Amino acid sequence: MSFESVSGAPEAVLVRYGELMLKGANRLDFENTLARNVRLALEPIVPVRLQREHARLLVFPQGRMEAVLQRLQQVFGISSVSPVWGAPCESEAIVECARRVLEDALLAIAPGETRRFRVLSRRADKRFPLGSMELDRLVAARIVQASHPLRIDLDRPELVLGIEVRENRAWLYARREAGPGGLPVGTLGRALCLVSGGIDSPVAAWMAMKRGCEVVFVTFHSPPYIGENAVHKVMDLVRVLGRWQRSARLYVVPFAPVQEALCDAGAESYRTILYRRMMQRIATHIAGLERAGALVTGESLGQVASQTMENLACIEQAAGLPVLRPLICFDKQETIALASRIGTYELSSVQTPDCCSLFLPRHPVLRGSIATCEEIEARLDVDQLVRAALANTQPHNLGHTARLRKVST
Amino acid sequence: MQPVYLDHAASSPLRPEARAAVLPFLEGEYGNPSSRHPLGARAAEAIARARETLAQALLVEPRQVTFTSGGTEAANLAVLGLARATRARGRHVLVGATEHSCVRACAAELAREGFEVELVPLDAHGEVDLAAFAARVRPDTALLAQMLVNNETGVIAPLARMAKLARARAASVRIAVDAVQAFGKLDCALCELGADALFLSAHKLGGPKGAGALALAPGVSCTPVLHGGGQEHGLRPGTENVAAIVGFGVAARLAQQQRPQWMTHVRRLRARLLERLTGLPGVRVVESASGAQEPGILALMLPGAPAEVRVHHLAQRGVFVSAGAACQSHARELSPALRAIGLDDESIRCLLRLSVNLSTTLEDIERAAQALLEVSRELERAAS
Repeated sequence: MSFESVSGAPEAVLVRYGELMLKGANRLDFENTLARNVRLALEPIVPVRLQREHARLLVFPQGRMEAVLQRLQQVFGISSVSPVWGAPCESEAIVECARRVLEDALLAIAPGETRRFRVLSRRADKRFPLGSMELDRLVAARIVQASHPLRIDLDRPELVLGIEVRENRAWLYARREAGPGGLPVGTLGRALCLVSGGIDSPVAAWMAMKRGCEVVFVTFHSPPYIGENAVHKVMDLVRVLGRWQRSARLYVVPFAPVQEALCDAGAESYRTILYRRMMQRIATHIAGLERAGALVTGESLGQVASQTMENLACIEQAAGLPVLRPLICFDKQETIALASRIGTYELSSVQTPDCCSLFLPRHPVLRGSIATCEEIEARLDVDQLVRAALANTQPHNLGHTARLRKVST
Repeated sequence: MQPVYLDHAASSPLRPEARAAVLPFLEGEYGNPSSRHPLGARAAEAIARARETLAQALLVEPRQVTFTSGGTEAANLAVLGLARATRARGRHVLVGATEHSCVRACAAELAREGFEVELVPLDAHGEVDLAAFAARVRPDTALLAQMLVNNETGVIAPLARMAKLARARAASVRIAVDAVQAFGKLDCALCELGADALFLSAHKLGGPKGAGALALAPGVSCTPVLHGGGQEHGLRPGTENVAAIVGFGVAARLAQQQRPQWMTHVRRLRARLLERLTGLPGVRVVESASGAQEPGILALMLPGAPAEVRVHHLAQRGVFVSAGAACQSHARELSPALRAIGLDDESIRCLLRLSVNLSTTLEDIERAAQALLEVSRELERAAS
């Protein structure tokens, strides 16, 4: 119960989505997915009412406007959001409503400051008697007074009073927050991300989500060489990433037996590549269980010895699915900047050892060959190692409700 | 006959669910949450659950919630900690005119440390004067400490608007909100209020005494007041009061869930009581003129006898109420908050505070009204 809503707070959030418009026949499916993702994202905050409009979504936040706005900025597919005030489609009512919108916007302007200002209206309902520009002029003339800190500037406005005239109602706003863009999670299917506690792989997962993939996670853990805190760190990362989609599922694969077997097989300089090839094989199986269509990794060309072009080729050859590498041409600094924005950097930068740091070769091979990899692997029972690792794999659902799983199946 | 308890703003009885959750931690679950063995881990896990409950209600991350020994300690941490952390950016502090004594005392401490402390101006009705407030904010204003619901009158401060006005005029201002009387009644999500810090007390919402919490908005730094072993992310060292924190979590979850029912029920109680008291000579209600009123706290001015005399007379009839705020009664001075809203000393002396919650019944209200009428008649007779 908000007592401040009495004093004329905005009643809804106008959600705009960009790229979905381009998708022709799939649009309905995309819109449905977006609406569902919005509802799921807001569920822990407040049970909202949604209203579908042409190319827009209206969310009624029941008093939790700021929280809803913040949360919607984490829903992929949304290009921008605005708190909106509603008015009947009638010019006098629109002017009256514009006054209230402005009153709110002016609270945030210090005395003595000015703002370049304009009105910008759009008519979705062409039956409205005034043209957009006429409405702009009418509203501006009626609300901008000499005492206001507003100066009309059509070309470089700092404050825009937007008006969307729709069929039954006009929606007014003065604030517009950018959404994360991208496509609604789930519209491009599912992918399995190989995630470590490092900085890169969480960012790679986020980028796959941004392009519409629902991401399931797999991590490789080597007890007793590595402590449980390494897994907890990955879980925390997956929880943070889970906020950007509708689920947070993590498979934890015990990896020490594989690493021990590979050490026994010799060929120290190939060790890291061989670890990674085994990871691809295990991940491919888990992807099958999850009906995921691709693997996602945080690899970036030339970042470490295992990420040369030749070595990436060796690793990829063991995967049974396309491998998406969103960071392939990113500099480390670019990845760090993105990790900070996503909220994973702080967690990732806590130092914990991970399984890849075990039994590291002193001189890793820089230009590995697939033939050599296969030659070494022939000394081992690769299938048996994969089966054993899968048999001991633990799935974890780290999302906030069990319903998440139901939705995604 | 059970007494009619109308002093929930002073302390609310422990909820049975909270009691049940607390008991194991007074018995077999004695581990120190910092210990790594299962007993310790279970204690840590129980605290983590309580922290998640509060985080969910306040819409912050769990790690942004710090448990303290109660409302007063959380207020100290918020007011002193935020001001000290922003010291470099400004030395001007604005404090609500009707704050609880613990916030006023912290502000006095800041004044001794060289901060310049001013009060939030009030209008003729004793409510925040937004225009005058905006004019009082300066570019070097480092802290605004303002309560959401006043503990003596139930008047609600227009916090979201104050926050907007303050931030437009002081870029680095921190806003600390006393939500001790507000939680479970109003939405206390930090982002909705525009708060950087918000503090609570467990026993006001049916949790045990001895637990409180401070929530910080993302990116807000706070300087610890106590120094020790790094518990509570270093913000509040000392072994956690596990049992009280667990009870706090359960009470907070229920209070948050019952918020809609609370509002409907308590409004009905207030209306009934006011209707029954219209016959009292000279009775006046101290409340918000603009309707920004938390209905569970009723400040009644009953001229004639001092409120304290009335409190004792009512207690004899099994009706427990307060003369002003219970926490004020140690001080033996008249409430500065009530003075600030423009009441004269005589009016303050005869101010009764009745506060209810969801467990209060219409029958309780009936008995209280009856007792108030009887006591008034009796005191009148004695005076004549």
